Amino acid sequence: MLNILVCVKQVPDVNLVKMDPFTGSLIRAGVPAILNPHDAYALEAAVQTKERYGGTVTCVTMGPDQAVEALRECLAAGADRAVLLSDRAFANADTLATSYVIATAAKLLGSFDLIFCGKESLDGATGQMASQLAERFDASQLSCVSLIEKLDGEKKTVLALRELEKGTETCEAQLPCLMTVEKTNYHPRIPNLKSWKASRTAEIEKYSAQTIPGLDPEQIGDPGSPTKVPRTYPPVVGAKGMMIDEGSAAKNAAKLLALVSDIL
Amino acid sequence: MAAYNKLSPLLAQKLSQIVGKERFQYQESVKADYSHDEMPIYGRYFPEAVCLVESTEEVAEIMKLCSENKIPVTVRGAGTGLVGGCVPVHGGIVISTERMNRILSYDLNNMCVHVQPGVRLCDLAADALAHGVMYPPDPGEKTATVGGNVSTNAGGMRAVKYGVTRDYVMAMTVVLPSGEIMKLGKSVCKTSSGYSLLHLMIGSEGTLGIITELTLKLIPKPLKDVSLILPFQDIATAIASVPSIKLANLDPQSIEFMERDIVDSSAAFTGNAVFPTVVKGQQVGAYILVTLVGDSEAELTMKMDRLGDIAEKLGAYDVLVVWTDGLKKDVWAARSAFLTVIEAETRLLDEMDVVVPVDKIADFLVYTHDEAVKQGVSVRSFGHAGDGNLHIYCCSNDLEEDEFKKRVAKLMERCYAKCTEFEGQVSGEHSIGHAKKVFLRESVGDTAYSLMGAIKQVFDPNGILNPGKVCHDI
Repeated sequence: MLNILVCVKQVPDVNLVKMDPFTGSLIRAGVPAILNPHDAYALEAAVQTKERYGGTVTCVTMGPDQAVEALRECLAAGADRAVLLSDRAFANADTLATSYVIATAAKLLGSFDLIFCGKESLDGATGQMASQLAERFDASQLSCVSLIEKLDGEKKTVLALRELEKGTETCEAQLPCLMTVEKTNYHPRIPNLKSWKASRTAEIEKYSAQTIPGLDPEQIGDPGSPTKVPRTYPPVVGAKGMMIDEGSAAKNAAKLLALVSDIL
Repeated sequence: MAAYNKLSPLLAQKLSQIVGKERFQYQESVKADYSHDEMPIYGRYFPEAVCLVESTEEVAEIMKLCSENKIPVTVRGAGTGLVGGCVPVHGGIVISTERMNRILSYDLNNMCVHVQPGVRLCDLAADALAHGVMYPPDPGEKTATVGGNVSTNAGGMRAVKYGVTRDYVMAMTVVLPSGEIMKLGKSVCKTSSGYSLLHLMIGSEGTLGIITELTLKLIPKPLKDVSLILPFQDIATAIASVPSIKLANLDPQSIEFMERDIVDSSAAFTGNAVFPTVVKGQQVGAYILVTLVGDSEAELTMKMDRLGDIAEKLGAYDVLVVWTDGLKKDVWAARSAFLTVIEAETRLLDEMDVVVPVDKIADFLVYTHDEAVKQGVSVRSFGHAGDGNLHIYCCSNDLEEDEFKKRVAKLMERCYAKCTEFEGQVSGEHSIGHAKKVFLRESVGDTAYSLMGAIKQVFDPNGILNPGKVCHDI
């Protein structure tokens, strides 16, 4: 029986987030929180793997109490167990402190053969969590996985297709293995009524800094985060585009040529 | 043949003075966009001039001038129509309302909003929600203007619960062809006060007057909503479920149907395969998409349970719950992209927008598909299963245009006749324009058609307003 862990994050829907141009901070008020889309692909890969080979899928997240909504979404989409790590002491954690808390808590939850992560989060987008977790779990890592081709229970290996900029490659890795997943073959499923209803009342396990044994207070939250953000600012937006509509293709081309000539 | 005059340089100068040079296009400077709508198969017709108006007074001055000089005038919103309604088939000038795009004020005590006609539907819908209220009409084309929606009495996806645009127009300011400014309706819910000129104006496609301001009814925003996808083996089984869904006291906000091929195309086009194509190991042939609203999750769960029971009995493979905002956005974006997808994949395109009784939808679709095969034209369809409004697109990528038109004419003649036999309507929301006049006449009969023509004559004795449209024969 495979034991599969999926690490997820609830993020603000960045399409709806605006940035205060003066303070550089994100205006999150009234912005809905969603399950990080890349994590939803990872969850789908985990659930498909479970459906093919058997096993259990556990989802874990670190965040405030409202992150249970993201976990319920995971349960509706096929996860068997959901765990929330929530404590004021975890606040202001960078990726190092977050991966420390998740990896330490995961020891409580079992021994995992496969760990799935989104490649990055919509909000922070550092893309660091997966590699840090792979190190902390002492697991091999495959990034950009577009298809899990085969799991060999005897050899304890996984064969997966990776989608890279210049093509694809098939890799074999030893279990335990952490994978980040591309959407290609793992479009998140829409839950059916039965699983959705079950997810709404399912128990969500919750752990705090006090209930995770062996957690070093110096490695969590603000004290455990070497990353400091001195300033945030909106990206510089280039010149606004313009529509050329002069009435015909020939006139449009002439206008475009005139504009380009001016620049050259 | 009505004798219209050409726009002389002197008249053009006067028009230019009314709106200002910046907002006036004349002859060579007229942009090509103003010569067509989104159904180019009905031809391109350039206006002699375009006036981008910004006020009721400007429209009134223009109409006085055009009335005195017998210059045809065609009003245009966003140009997203599909029957040539905003296309100046007899030349003259186009009055564009695109710059009259302000939401003027909300009156939440009386649950209404005052807007200019050029406000885009998507902007009004979002702004209303931000004010904690909802503007219920929800036609698929979100970039259409509300003026265009009122002129065509657009319906949309939520019509099954809330009704159509007509039900949300409380009052309007109109400029008559003579240039006289008139206010129709009041911000009240009832009237028993003579003939409703307001309702005559709604759906008249800019042939009786020019709408320059609107008072639209609002409702409280539903607190919770959920969409559900019911996958079926085929379209007949899917459609057969609709009467039972309507009878189950669920008060659904929308009941849409879609066939597998259009869902596949939409997935390829948007890159987002959100609708599952295999459910419980079975290939899906058609889908019903239902939206339910309520005050709480508990209420919605109760309704979903009831729908689940019905769906199972009626042969749905499963009931899929679109609960999260992200999924809702993806599902409805896929649904809204259908026409764009068809346009992108098709070289030659024509359409029907018939309405038939709900229990005749499947029969009508089967008939249309059979007739299309006989004519060697492919058809693709989707639409509003809850109210029987079908959007059927006739497509070809290999026929010559003349041959396509001949075949589609035969196909449409038979389909519209079948629609009349089924006690249906020629158009549910796209209107008549100049493309569907002949079918309107056949559907309503000579007497009704003549009465419509007589009404047009009363409002517009010179026939200068959107000539050649709806019931106006030249």
